[in-house]
Amino acid sequence: MYASLVNLGLAGLGIYAVLGLAFAVAFAVRGAQAIDPAAEQGTWGFRVLIVPGAAALWPLLLLRWVRGDGEPPEERGAHRDGARGGGA
Amino acid sequence: MSQGYRAVGWNPQKKTYDRVLGLGLLLYLGLFVGVGFALHPTATAETLLLRGLGTSAFLLLHGILCIGPLARLDRRFLPLLYNRRHLGVSMFLLALVHSVFALIQFHALGDQNPLVSLFVGNTRFDSLAHFPFQPLGAAALAILFLMAATSHDFWLANLSAPVWKALHMLVYLAYALLVMHVGLGILQAETSPLWAGLVLAGLALVLGLHLVAGWRERGLDRELAPGDAGLVDVCAIDEIPEGRARVATISGERVAVFREGLTVTAVSSLCQHQNGPLGEGRILDGLITCPWHGYQYDPCSGRSPAPFTERVPTFRVVLRSGRVLVDPTPSPAGTEQVPACAEQPQ
Repeated sequence: MYASLVNLGLAGLGIYAVLGLAFAVAFAVRGAQAIDPAAEQGTWGFRVLIVPGAAALWPLLLLRWVRGDGEPPEERGAHRDGARGGGA
Repeated sequence: MSQGYRAVGWNPQKKTYDRVLGLGLLLYLGLFVGVGFALHPTATAETLLLRGLGTSAFLLLHGILCIGPLARLDRRFLPLLYNRRHLGVSMFLLALVHSVFALIQFHALGDQNPLVSLFVGNTRFDSLAHFPFQPLGAAALAILFLMAATSHDFWLANLSAPVWKALHMLVYLAYALLVMHVGLGILQAETSPLWAGLVLAGLALVLGLHLVAGWRERGLDRELAPGDAGLVDVCAIDEIPEGRARVATISGERVAVFREGLTVTAVSSLCQHQNGPLGEGRILDGLITCPWHGYQYDPCSGRSPAPFTERVPTFRVVLRSGRVLVDPTPSPAGTEQVPACAEQPQ
């Protein structure tokens, strides 16, 4: 039972990683600048460096890319939220 | 700051930092293997290297975890904090190579998939003396991977600083898993109490430094309530050192109230880069400078100088009878405020 669960978990992780790697290459080349304008002028070294992170977080990034988010998310926090909710 | 991304924003300090780190690690590994051969002539090079890589990663993790509280206790440790991310990525790479070596040495020679063997090779969960400690190391490595993979500023911007910071706080979970991984591994392989004692000493050092740093700052997070006219009385103007800040918790977060000459301004104390403590920084060339990585903000507007785009919320400040009063309602990040100005002493 335990061995079957481990096999299943590792197989799932393998599929997630393969899909993530394929996505990450496309994201590093085209997707990064679609969600963050500062990536437009990003160097190739930068694009290589973001591949592992993109492979790990690909569902989140795919969602943002498809949704057409043109900017990074706005930072949240007590002061920033307080200012939005009726600050000057 | 926030311009076109590069792999690494090299500068002379970072190069020196990384050279010292690289040389130190090579020296440690060389000494570990050399001394290991001298003390245990029958040991194999693979085993010594495996242990050298593992111990160097574990020691480096202790250093990484201690830098934060040390820098809060003594500003002279701040330069170590400047490039802590490179320490983290180096530590992950050492742990990764250690894991690959361990996987090959202990799990690659059977007829089972090595990764499956890692998790099912030992299932003595009911025995402390035989507990499967290797999966604990694998779980810690997964966390360290996530942290190393998202260490670039691109991730900081695209996850936002609070989310990025929360993700990187998982380092404490990784540390707990590694203490168990190393502790149980030692229990099963060593008879001398020295190694277990060293692990406990390391744990005591990390916990102790965090507790002392937390104790020193215990009063800072007490929310200050507004008084007359809805303003918060922070301190007397004389209590703020020239070019530095007084920190107070107002409206749920820390506010940094800076004094430069006769003018007083207030901004949210969280730097937009990694949420560094702006209130522990100082004013350099007329700009608030974060002590962690040197990000700068105009004290009146909370905006980074062009072409950079970081912004922090600002607060209205009033001076009355030498007291510094802050309007607790934050203004949107980057809002220009008129600085409060003390009268010229006669």
